Amino acid sequence: MKNSVKVQRAIANITQAQLAEKIGVSRQTINAIEAGKYVPSTVLALKIAKLFEKSVNDIFELESTD
Amino acid sequence: MKTNYLFPNSFKKSSGILFVISLLGIILIPIINKDGNVIQLQSNVFALLYDEGIKTRSMSWIKDDIFPELIGIILILSGLVFAFSKEKMEDEMISKIRVESLVWATYINYAVLLFCIIFIYGLSFFSVMVYNMFTLILFFIIRFHWMLYKNDKIYNHEE
Repeated sequence: MKNSVKVQRAIANITQAQLAEKIGVSRQTINAIEAGKYVPSTVLALKIAKLFEKSVNDIFELESTD
Repeated sequence: MKTNYLFPNSFKKSSGILFVISLLGIILIPIINKDGNVIQLQSNVFALLYDEGIKTRSMSWIKDDIFPELIGIILILSGLVFAFSKEKMEDEMISKIRVESLVWATYINYAVLLFCIIFIYGLSFFSVMVYNMFTLILFFIIRFHWMLYKNDKIYNHEE
């Protein structure tokens, strides 16, 4: 799964740590999501989307391998 | 918030210390305290089953050295609490690592046991069974914390 969390974060001008704190996960988790190494749960994806005032589909995208 | 059957993070440190001490105990005491000549805690205990000579008897109060039992209980309880207390920041990625480690530890534990069943015979196998009581939790603890450490190293820098 691809995602644009890093881009959205840059637009919103917040750090990984700030994003992590706002949605209640560790900074490592945000880092792993941005690196494409961890696929967040639906709840977490929704929380991230809500924070950036986007829909989940705008931030997360299926890949051909999924 | 869903329940996850974990202990609070505040239990982690003290149970970890207890676990290491009792683990060293279970390994070193049979060497130091052979035949109970250094420490003995003779006590009356209720036995569901016990030996009298070569006969197995049941349901009676007997006198026994409870020191090994005490260490075993402390080891298991502290191990369980240490293995299953929350991390400082317990989130879903940690949960995933926890579950993966538990699967991995179960496989390794039984792989080791299978190896021992095939290659260890007689009374020596008795010590295999003794250690096998604790190895599942030990393998889990080692693997879980190793993965947390690796995870921390890879992802703990801001990009």
